Amino acid sequence: MQTSASKATGLARASRSLAKVEDLANLLAAAAIFLLMVLGVVQIVGRTIFNAPVHGYIDLVELSMAGMAFLGAAYCQRLGAHIRMELLIGRFHGRTLWLLEIFGTLVGLGILGVLIWYGGQHFWRSYTLGDTTIDAEFPVWPSKLLVPMAFSLWFLRLLIQLWGSVRLAINPAAQPVGVAMIKDAAEHAQDEMHEAMGDDAPDAGTSDGEGRS
Amino acid sequence: DGPSVFWKLSMWGNPRALSAGMEELSKVVAEETGGKFQIKIFYGGQLSPARENLDALVVNGFEGAAICNFYHPGKNPAWMVFSLPFLPLGDPKVDKYVRSKMFEHPAIVADMERWNAIPYVSGLLPQYEILGKGKPPAELNDWQGKRVRAGGGLGSAMEKLGAVKQTLPAGETSIAFQRGALDAAAFPYTYAHVAFKINEEAEWFTSNLAPGTSECGWVFNKTSYDALPPQYQKLLMDNRDLVMDIEQAAYATQDEKNLPEFEKTMTKVTYSDEQLAEFREIAGKPVWDEWIAANKYKFDSQGVFDAIWQYAEEAKAAQ
Amino acid sequence: MILGIGFADPLLVGLIALSLLLLLVLLGVRVVFAASTVGLLGLVELLGWSGAAGIVGTVPHSKSSTYALSVLPMFIFIGFLAFHAGMTRQLFVAARNWLGWLPGGLAVATVLATAGFAAVSGASTATSAVFARVAIPEMLRYGYDRKLAAGVVAAGGTLATLIPPSAIIVIYAIIVEESVGKLLLAGFLPGIFSALVYAAIIVAWAKMRPEQAPSVPASSWRERFTSLPGTFPVVLVVLIIISAIYSGWATPTEAGALGAAVVFVLALLKGTKLTTIRSSLMESAKLTAMIFALIWGVLIFVRFLGFSGIPEAFTSWIVSLDVHPMMIMIMILLAYAVLGMFMDAIGMLLLTLPVVYPAVIALGFDSIWFGIIVVKMAEVCLITPPIGLNCFVVNAVRPDISLPQVFKGITLFFVADVLTIIGLLMFPEIVTFLPDLLS
Ligand code: NA
Ligand code: NA
Repeated sequence: MQTSASKATGLARASRSLAKVEDLANLLAAAAIFLLMVLGVVQIVGRTIFNAPVHGYIDLVELSMAGMAFLGAAYCQRLGAHIRMELLIGRFHGRTLWLLEIFGTLVGLGILGVLIWYGGQHFWRSYTLGDTTIDAEFPVWPSKLLVPMAFSLWFLRLLIQLWGSVRLAINPAAQPVGVAMIKDAAEHAQDEMHEAMGDDAPDAGTSDGEGRS
Repeated sequence: DGPSVFWKLSMWGNPRALSAGMEELSKVVAEETGGKFQIKIFYGGQLSPARENLDALVVNGFEGAAICNFYHPGKNPAWMVFSLPFLPLGDPKVDKYVRSKMFEHPAIVADMERWNAIPYVSGLLPQYEILGKGKPPAELNDWQGKRVRAGGGLGSAMEKLGAVKQTLPAGETSIAFQRGALDAAAFPYTYAHVAFKINEEAEWFTSNLAPGTSECGWVFNKTSYDALPPQYQKLLMDNRDLVMDIEQAAYATQDEKNLPEFEKTMTKVTYSDEQLAEFREIAGKPVWDEWIAANKYKFDSQGVFDAIWQYAEEAKAAQ
Repeated sequence: MILGIGFADPLLVGLIALSLLLLLVLLGVRVVFAASTVGLLGLVELLGWSGAAGIVGTVPHSKSSTYALSVLPMFIFIGFLAFHAGMTRQLFVAARNWLGWLPGGLAVATVLATAGFAAVSGASTATSAVFARVAIPEMLRYGYDRKLAAGVVAAGGTLATLIPPSAIIVIYAIIVEESVGKLLLAGFLPGIFSALVYAAIIVAWAKMRPEQAPSVPASSWRERFTSLPGTFPVVLVVLIIISAIYSGWATPTEAGALGAAVVFVLALLKGTKLTTIRSSLMESAKLTAMIFALIWGVLIFVRFLGFSGIPEAFTSWIVSLDVHPMMIMIMILLAYAVLGMFMDAIGMLLLTLPVVYPAVIALGFDSIWFGIIVVKMAEVCLITPPIGLNCFVVNAVRPDISLPQVFKGITLFFVADVLTIIGLLMFPEIVTFLPDLLS
């Protein structure tokens, strides 16, 4: 299958390039979590010792939540970490499995498309009509803009996975590229263990062999 | 008679004084139309959280909602006038007159127009007072360094007295308050203090500081309102007084029950006219001027501010 | 007819939507996509396209940017840091030195150490994974029964969700709009109570079957006291979180931030590498994104439920039943037990609570008490077949203990959990005592 092999290089390359952006986005989310920790400590110290709470602390936290909540979504998708029930789909193999994967991916693309467009409008309203936080009156639009941005990245990852699944549905014998492999409960458990132990194991579930740097 | 219409109104939280008038309107409207015009309030933010009610109106998600100006200052800049300290809205009759007129003021209407909404009736929230723990602030100096939960222009006013403005989610307020992370909290007086259980631990309350209030009221979806047959529109508009009277009666009932309890369990702080004048001097005009200056390019902020005083004069003259 | 005119038949729409959701989930569609898609379709049926899509477009941002939820990334970060900083071993050593002499002493010590570790971790499965590595070898060395050793580790892990910090409890608090602080506090005693019931049942079992849990020689007092300082970080985090919530000197998010900072500094002092800290942060960000996606995805579906009027219909139906409320409660809990066999705990709570919670409250049950009971139910599901994830974890860490062996080892602790739940039903004060101190 020469065509499928050549497709797979393009696919693998696309997947790897996107992965770099996803890693960066997840790193930004991680940085937001770290800053939330720092901000919390500053707030406690400022308030209890100097009687000077951080100006607009709650507003800052709420605005930063979008970073933590959304920026890692595509990264999560690549690693197959968004929750789903694999009791049934895990029993299928070959073409049936990839057709189901295509279906699930299409559902994801559909709803994300709606959320990107209408989440974008939600941002646009806050930008054009005005929207500020409750206390310090910070503008809300940058936080709302993160939704269509992060979801677009997620959308692209789903496109890659769709591409990968279609390729495998056509030729189930091909080497899986750009798809998140289903793990059974035992493999999930293995992951949990790896995470808990802090092993720097390559990412299970990603078949590109493109684990985090 | 007319067509069958079903209106959904969005509100956060539980049924309370603020919603009592609207519940009555729903009954009246159903009766008058032989059950054809139904209005149902969905509580608990089922249809939308408080801060997104206007967003849901602009996309025609439902036909009406309660909103509070201070939840989203940037969405209703002109409405923020109601949160300025020391507006002449202490007398319930004056308050009702002024806010009814203000709900037709072009700038107030324009704020809602952007969200495809029309102002219906004010919730006529009573004036705020402050409940607190520790040394009662008998003198204005006593506010120095006190940590007070107060937002908007009212928070700015307290800061002018040297208080430290503290923001907390309403639900966590009582806990922080009781355990000394907070010295005082401003809420609509008296019912909201009781709703958030501030009174259970507080040791004193201000009885006549009346530093300001806010505007929580009902707005309708403009598209839905325009689509109503004229007789339904008229029915709604003719009953605005009824809605407001019921709201004010509900607050008064609460006061009747709460005030004796407050006086029994807490120290009552009453300021002299001189003290109040001084407070207004320090925290009134400067906050007003800041607000007018900060908003003058967005809308006629001076005009909005002046209108409140003008309508208050009219109301007093009429009494 | 609950809504009068306005909707064709909200209950019918609701029923169709629920079936569709179930179908999509069964077909392996990710829960966030399945729930939000069905929520959107349901809203389109009720409101038309522009209203439905417009509202749906607001939900992810609006539901994620609430201050109360900001405690989640902090709790998650504390958990990952604590694993990496190796706080487990010292806890276990101290527990063994103090309690090893009891009948079944090593297993009791494992329970105590998991309870201690629960105070820095909100993740059951991770806690089981860590102790499978730390405690099982020790128990096997002294001739413990493999099933018992595996069972105690799988069950001990579940304490992580009751004892604060706990992500599930925070999510419950947010769905039902209760104080996060009160609920976190409410989980503390039931967590300890569960641990005590585990310990008691181990001691009783060890008395009957000493060959399965042989005694170990008592440690000297010197050994006991020298092992105490190792528990210091955990004690510090417990003190910070509990005291902050109890005394109100910090919000749960601030307390979580301080707890994370303390663990972070201690981890640095212990020589934890920066790359390890970076990967804990990356893992925290990934888990945060996953949990938030679940939250807003399901809440889109829940928004549809709100418009459909199903929660009110369910409540009035439940209240109209001529059955004792406690019977209904037991039915609800059994339903959760069945659901929990197949569903992720957070997804289960998010999906069911908007319908079940108003009914439970209408029946006169306490919201905080119900939250803790439901979380305990979700935890029991983590150790029961067919997909008791904690058991899989233990099996993954110790492939030499087969899955059926682990599930057999759980039997004792399943009995203990049933006793615990009966205890919480009969003595609700175990749950409500601490939060009641707040008001
Ligand atoms: Na925990
Ligand atoms: Na299970």
